[in-house]
Amino acid sequence: MTDDRSPDPESFEAFRRSFSYGDRSDLNFKFFKSMADEDVAAFIQRVLDLVGDAYDTGDIEPIVRAAYEAQVAGYTPDPEAPPSPHSYDFAPYAPMPTPAAGATLGLITSSGHFVEGDDPEPFGVEDMTQEEAERRIDEFLRETPKLSEIPSGIAANELRVRHGGYDVTSAARDRNVAFPADRLLEAAEQGTIGGVTSTFFSFPGATAQGRLKRELPAWLDRFAVEQADAFLLVPV
Amino acid sequence: MSVGHVARALEEAGTPTVVVMVRSFRHVAERMGLPRTVITRHPMGRPFGAAGDVARQSDVLGAAIALLDGAVEGGTIIELEAAFRPGTLG
Repeated sequence: MTDDRSPDPESFEAFRRSFSYGDRSDLNFKFFKSMADEDVAAFIQRVLDLVGDAYDTGDIEPIVRAAYEAQVAGYTPDPEAPPSPHSYDFAPYAPMPTPAAGATLGLITSSGHFVEGDDPEPFGVEDMTQEEAERRIDEFLRETPKLSEIPSGIAANELRVRHGGYDVTSAARDRNVAFPADRLLEAAEQGTIGGVTSTFFSFPGATAQGRLKRELPAWLDRFAVEQADAFLLVPV
Repeated sequence: MSVGHVARALEEAGTPTVVVMVRSFRHVAERMGLPRTVITRHPMGRPFGAAGDVARQSDVLGAAIALLDGAVEGGTIIELEAAFRPGTLG
């Protein structure tokens, strides 16, 4: 006898949601979760059309552009959504104390870079993998962030990156995509800026915002030691 | 949001900042009132450009440095028009 019972087919909604920390987790496309089924379907169809074109043209830029445009749409807030609790009606402004050409710049990123051998060991875990960081994203979002100190002249092969909130593939291949240490050092050599601080900083930005704000006085004290004239900040 | 809180705290303490972020987060810069922001039309995780694209990364940094010098008030946002170009790393 054959068993003609078949499992329930996966819905399209379940399919698109699975890219956001589900069984198809892909942080480049986790925004599918907040898009309508028909918009994700249209995007997939568009990409497949462009792949067909690329067979002949060899040009993948249209595919990359389509993915970028979908991402922007996916992150555009719903105009009907309630306002964010992290909204402010005033923008602080501190003037530059000296022209940038003579200024010392510091670097702070939320990219999750840290020095090999100085792992912040989230939740006490040694050598946490990127995959585990992604699986534990909900815990990171309730956790106090740990600030990693990175010597500004450190070699690229002495850096590691781990972050449960974004695809770190590019940042692991070339730190400068999100932690532009080499570009800052070059700017200092060329005289575009006066110099860089001795230490740069990074932390995983997927973190508890209230806990982060409570850390800021201590972080500011640490940043002040660097005597930077200005800071370059890079969220991911 | 995390970097936005850091930027605001630094500026309120008297240290100027410039933030470089991808276009998908522009609404964050606007609603958080970030002091100086450079927006790049790049995918998430690659605010300075593709891996290995030194020229683009340098251009983005140049724009950030220029904004440090040029901004005269908080909430200044510039959006670079250059589209992301794929990297060439094998």
